[in-house]
Amino acid sequence: MSRLFSLRKVCTAGALCLTLAAAALPAGAATLVVAATKTPGGFDGDALKPNTQNVVVQVYEGLTKYGYKKDPKTGRMVLDPGTILPHLATKWTISPDGKTYTFELRKGVKSPFGNELTSADVVWGWEKSQAQKRTGAFIAKASSVNKVEAVDRYNVSFTLDAASSIFLPALTLYTPSLYDSTEVKKYVTAEDPWALKWIDQNTAGFGAYHLQSLKSGEEAVFVANPNYFAGKPYYDRVVYKEVPNAGTRFTLMRTGQVQWVEELNLKQIAELKKDKRVKVESDEGSGHASVRMNPTLKPFDNPLLRQAILYATDYKAINGAVFEGIGTQARSIVPPIIPGADVKTWQFNTNLDKARQLLKQAGYADGVDVTLEYAAIFWFEEQLAIQMKDQLAKVGIRVNLQKITDANMRSRTAPNKRDLPFFTFMDNPIVLDPVYALYLNAHSEGASNRNNYANPEFDKLVDAARIEQNPKKRAELVNKAQQMHIKDASWVMTMYPGAHEAMPTCMKGYVWQPDYHERWRELSCK
Amino acid sequence: MWVQLFRFLLRRLAVSLPLVVGVVFVTFMLVRIGGGDPVALLAGPTASAQEHAEIRKGLGLDQSLVTQFGIYISKAAQGDLGQSWLSSKQVSDEIAKRALVTLELLLWGVAIGALVGIPLGARAAARRGSTFDQVVRALSLAGFSIPTYWLGLIAILTFFYALNLSPAPMGRLDATLITPERITGSYFIDALLRGQWEVARSALSHLLLPVMTVAVVACAPIMKHTRAIASEIVDSEFIRFARSSGLGERRIRSMVLRNSMVPVLTFLGTEIVGLLGTSSLIELIFSWGGIGQWGLQSILNGDFAAIQGYVLFAALLSVVVFIIIDAANYLLEPRGRERM
Repeated sequence: MSRLFSLRKVCTAGALCLTLAAAALPAGAATLVVAATKTPGGFDGDALKPNTQNVVVQVYEGLTKYGYKKDPKTGRMVLDPGTILPHLATKWTISPDGKTYTFELRKGVKSPFGNELTSADVVWGWEKSQAQKRTGAFIAKASSVNKVEAVDRYNVSFTLDAASSIFLPALTLYTPSLYDSTEVKKYVTAEDPWALKWIDQNTAGFGAYHLQSLKSGEEAVFVANPNYFAGKPYYDRVVYKEVPNAGTRFTLMRTGQVQWVEELNLKQIAELKKDKRVKVESDEGSGHASVRMNPTLKPFDNPLLRQAILYATDYKAINGAVFEGIGTQARSIVPPIIPGADVKTWQFNTNLDKARQLLKQAGYADGVDVTLEYAAIFWFEEQLAIQMKDQLAKVGIRVNLQKITDANMRSRTAPNKRDLPFFTFMDNPIVLDPVYALYLNAHSEGASNRNNYANPEFDKLVDAARIEQNPKKRAELVNKAQQMHIKDASWVMTMYPGAHEAMPTCMKGYVWQPDYHERWRELSCK
Repeated sequence: MWVQLFRFLLRRLAVSLPLVVGVVFVTFMLVRIGGGDPVALLAGPTASAQEHAEIRKGLGLDQSLVTQFGIYISKAAQGDLGQSWLSSKQVSDEIAKRALVTLELLLWGVAIGALVGIPLGARAAARRGSTFDQVVRALSLAGFSIPTYWLGLIAILTFFYALNLSPAPMGRLDATLITPERITGSYFIDALLRGQWEVARSALSHLLLPVMTVAVVACAPIMKHTRAIASEIVDSEFIRFARSSGLGERRIRSMVLRNSMVPVLTFLGTEIVGLLGTSSLIELIFSWGGIGQWGLQSILNGDFAAIQGYVLFAALLSVVVFIIIDAANYLLEPRGRERM
């Protein structure tokens, strides 16, 4: 028995097996391997499931796109929120009242199925989104789109309820998607007039990539659209591999086994910055790590308590302990990257005496018990929650921490629910416009107004700004709305952690996007 | 004997099925009481309260929990476990696809754990108090104490990151290879059967590290239990009698091992079932894509049908494993047949 299991034999067998393993290591090619948190649940941009957005942006491209400019500090190309350029449309005209836009489509734009983009595809995609009443319908509503009509084969007109400054940036988005409707219509049935079942598990866009295969839980493979109008991208194949563990993703990037990696925390980013095999590109980003209070629920219906919490928060300590000291302190719900963000109005710098005084005025001289709920949707949530507990304890606010599932967090902060009194979350406006950011995060109709902030005066200001064409007047309305939101103190605005992407040193072409997803077509590693 | 065995197994099955229904009932209720609301997740930001109500009705969530459970169990009896909202696929298809992926990992792991653990445990029992026994006990304690998650990460750091002997922990096959056409669901076996040697080599290399992690996790308790069981048998009268009658050590060891088999086999059954939960973490670290990883993500994403399907699978696996163990015990242990 002892001979059978001798150490030498076990080691020899192990070494043999591991040598076999080493021999099977993959060789690189023009294949981009992405270590993803999860394989996409579906491919319908209107019915977002985990990781849907990450990949549909590679398949469905917009009529317009943001311009890029050189960052004088870093020399890198960065996105210019103030410049909207033609993309799948070549040009557009605007009616004098600003309510009608007519786009001329780029000719010769073809899907992988060989069908050319026409105005019928644009109309079909927008009608589908309106019928689904989901993400695309919200975008349409935010940008005041009332009607989309085909003028002729290559011209399409959009009629708006009111002139909108959000409209052109909104057309950079992946939804309402421009589908190859000729292909999709093959899967329409009486019960499913928009072929949603097919769209959920397949792709038919005019973008650079399309789905080749999906093995749920393992990988999704995308291949380049052979008919892509802007030419063949560097990577002709993208393997979007599910690697759910962040530690494993980190190790894979370090060892060069993958060329792209999703969702690393700032500690891992700091480690990778020291690694010569990897480069990290950092941008300001637009995601705001926040702790939100629902002003319609007790005890947060008391504005003095909310203000006390804001004064009791030590923002510097949070930056150091949670965000590795590289976060940018948030002072408005409009991210600093968006022109029009007001960082001067902020008044809640850490002041424990003031916090105690406000707490007393609020009727909580002996302190108060609150529950802070957090999930694991974002890497920082638990650390931020712990910091909040520690800091608020200094003024007598006793925080009970409660971890809930991601699904619970998402569903309880969704419209028509919103029953969490105090919770952590991060939202990022995918349209880089101050009015959109305000509308999304804090308007009573906003999709990301998760803490149910409802101030009719604020709504009025945002609604007025949505249709205001005079830039100066619009800026005034935007400023007033931000001031009002800050005064109402329903968000503990902590940090903008920034957008940090790790990649091999040879990687070129990466430009941060408002949806935080790299564009595979722009990447190369020669 | 075979008719008796068949009757015995039928009796065991009849006792187990209400247990499975009970487990599914508790899960069903817990998921609905404590989980997220799928309607809020499915409805878009512009959906009205009426549209919410329509979605709720469409999912059957407008009915009482007991009615919902009745519908679920009657459909489940016909093989319809519902649809995963996360993947839009039938839960039964997902289970069928992923169960073998996990079972491959577990069976290899437990088999290696048993091949190492049983002889070491038996030998330690035979030499109680010796250095060998002390080493086995220390190893067993270490195996118990090391968290599975940590063990997996250390294995990756050592064999993949530091020594570069193992492939990247990115699933079951290299990203550059095409998966073999399915026969059994195991990439390694399917590639061997189809003569795709490179694919088989890659599948084997990907299997090694996660299997060894499972094996280490499985080996410690197997070693400990075998030692305890074998020690009892070594001290028993019939072994003392055999020894005093002048039987050789080899023959005695064989007697000890054979008599330890029934409790050890029973323990192996509990190990396989218990490791199904542990494997979720191992699968997560190695991006394995099996049913454990799927179950864990279903819980995090509030995928009701998938969670129920996962728990049902775990319950049924327990029943099947214990019935097999009972059958094996029945055949191996003639003395216990009357009690069975």
